[in-house]
Parts: sequence; structure tokens; C-alpha cells
Amino acid sequence: MSERSGWRRVLILILAAAACAAVSNLAASRERRLPWVGSYTRALEVEPAASSKEASGAAAPGPATTASVSPPAPAAGNTAAGASQRFPPHADRASAEIGTDEAEALFREGRLFLDARRSSVYADGHIPGARSFPVWESDIGDRVKALYEEGLDQNAPIVLYCSGGDCEDSHMLAEKLYMVGFNALYVYKDGFPGWQKRSLPVTKGGKP
Amino acid sequence: MAETQPAGHEGREALSFLTHPWLTIRVQIGLGVIFVVAALPKIADPPSFAHMIYNYRLVPGALVNALALVMPWVELLVGLALVLGVWRRQAAAFAGLLLLVFIVAIGANLARGRAVDCGCFDVHSAGKSREELLTEMRWVLIRDTAMLLMVAQVLAASRKPVRPALR
Repeated sequence: MSERSGWRRVLILILAAAACAAVSNLAASRERRLPWVGSYTRALEVEPAASSKEASGAAAPGPATTASVSPPAPAAGNTAAGASQRFPPHADRASAEIGTDEAEALFREGRLFLDARRSSVYADGHIPGARSFPVWESDIGDRVKALYEEGLDQNAPIVLYCSGGDCEDSHMLAEKLYMVGFNALYVYKDGFPGWQKRSLPVTKGGKP
Repeated sequence: MAETQPAGHEGREALSFLTHPWLTIRVQIGLGVIFVVAALPKIADPPSFAHMIYNYRLVPGALVNALALVMPWVELLVGLALVLGVWRRQAAAFAGLLLLVFIVAIGANLARGRAVDCGCFDVHSAGKSREELLTEMRWVLIRDTAMLLMVAQVLAASRKPVRPALR
């Protein structure tokens, strides 16, 4: 067999794989479909040494747009005005991180919660009232656009969460929402596991 | 007194065993099955596999999804080709290339001290600790190196006409 024939077979293999992938992606359900071109701005960024990150117990830090910041002061009241003072808009960066106490306070105030995990994981259990915004699914752009078109106050605090620890999905969601103008995005860094650990209310099922 | 063998006889015998059709067929099918088994969960859930690729922090953001969509199918076709014995040499070479890519990806993250889920046979994060992940990554490097040796065996054997019907 000639060398040229060998390369032709390799090329056929790659083209066949691409064709199978295209058909499979077209036939896939919404939650298993992927856009061919990704838009992950931090795909090549490496966070600082993992050991120091573990020691601080913080989620993965990022560049200025998604930097970890000191959480706001603990809840002191339950009024909406109080929330706007304690969780002010921060137009200079996409998100700020909060802990379970702050997330719980915002939950009690009825603030909007967005769940950035996969929709199947969301269906298995989520914070009551949280909406599913799975960043790794193909329709995330449509969901962000729909939220924007609801005409919500873009300076009102919105809590984003995923699986805690090293999970970055909520930061990725924050970047998408920040790009359309939301200015008070708070990433609940302990995520759903932290919520469950505190025995706070959870609910199961599809869309709230 | 023992009969003296011509120089290089033992080496030729060892090579002859290593490229024996009996061994080659088993190595080839074993390698193929591993690739098929590894491909299926990735094909079933491309977003989770894209997430795994993203976590390696080695692929530009624009290419993450395309890679997550195409690579599992390459793995599947390479695996099937090895199992069925068609285009054996190209399939084995491609398998070797994929394994090299995996080794570099895992090795680079180990060198950077980043613990990542391998995503080799399961695309869902198992919630392992950092230490568990780092240990797993070291084992994956050893496993992939062993698989590279399997690839080398198939490539060496396919240089001679062991099974003309399959070529």
C-alpha cells in the first residue's frame, strides 16, 4: 500500500468522524446539543497554584471580570432596600462571590437565583425558585436573551450557583449576563452542595 | 555441550513472538474495544465532554466544542477499525496519536499542579478530592503509555503480511 493511500484513509477517517458528529449533533436533544464554535473566554487561563486555592477554600479565581472579592457584610435586615445596600451593583466586574449566609439572606428576600449546572442535574435537585441556566447546553444564549427581554432591574442582585468547589459554571454564566448588562451578579461559591449541607430547602423537578 | 546459536537468533525469536498473528489479533481487538468503550459516553453527552476538555485549559475556547463533538467519533471509528481489522495500520497510528495527545494533556496539567477529571471513560465529574484526582492522573499516564506499547506492537506486526485477508 502506498503512502498516499495511507494518508487518504486517515483523511477519510477524520471526515467520516466529522460527518457522524454533525449528524449526531443535529439529532441530539436540546440539552445534549453543542454549538460548533465555543465562546469560553477563559479556556486557556490557568488559575494560581491549586494548593493556595485549597488553603483559602475559595472557588477558582479569574481575571478582573470575574475576580473573587470579599463577600458583603452578613445579613442585617430583610428589606429590599437593605439588599441593594448590602449587595450593590458592581459594574466594574462580572461577579462577586458570596457565602451561604449571604445566599440564604437573598433567598429569604425572594431574589432571583440561577442554576448554572446541567439541566439533568438541576432536575435532580435545586434551590426552590431557581431557574435553570445550564451554561454547557446549546440554548444558553436564548435563555440569557429571554432573561434580558423580561426587563428586570439590572442592578438588582441575582444569585448564580453551580456545584461549589472548583465549579466555574456560575462564573461563566455571570460573564454572559454581565455582557448583556446585568450588574449585580453574585456567585454563591459553595453552590448547591453548600446549600444542602446547611439543610436549606431544596426542590426537585424540571422548570420552576 | 550446548549448541551455539548464530548471533541475533534470540532477538529474532523475540521479535517473531511479538509480531506473531496470535498476539497481534488479541492486542488489536483489545485496543479497539478500549477505544470504542471510551468513545460511547462522550458521544452520548457532548456538553459534559466539552466541559472536561475545557477543564484541561489547553484548547482555545472557540475549538472546545468542535473537539468535543468530533474526537469521540474519531475514537469510535479508530476502535471499530481495529476490532474489525480494516485499515489496521492507519487506525493503529491514529490511536497512537490520540494517546500521545492524552498523555501530553494529562502530563501538562500534572506539571502545572492542576487536578482535572480525566474524562477518559466517564464524562461526569465524580466529585473526587484533589489528591485522588492527581493519583488517578498518574495512573492514566501509565495506562496510556501501556496502550502506546500495544499500538507499537500492532504497527510492528502490520509491517509484515500476518493476515493478508485483512489488509
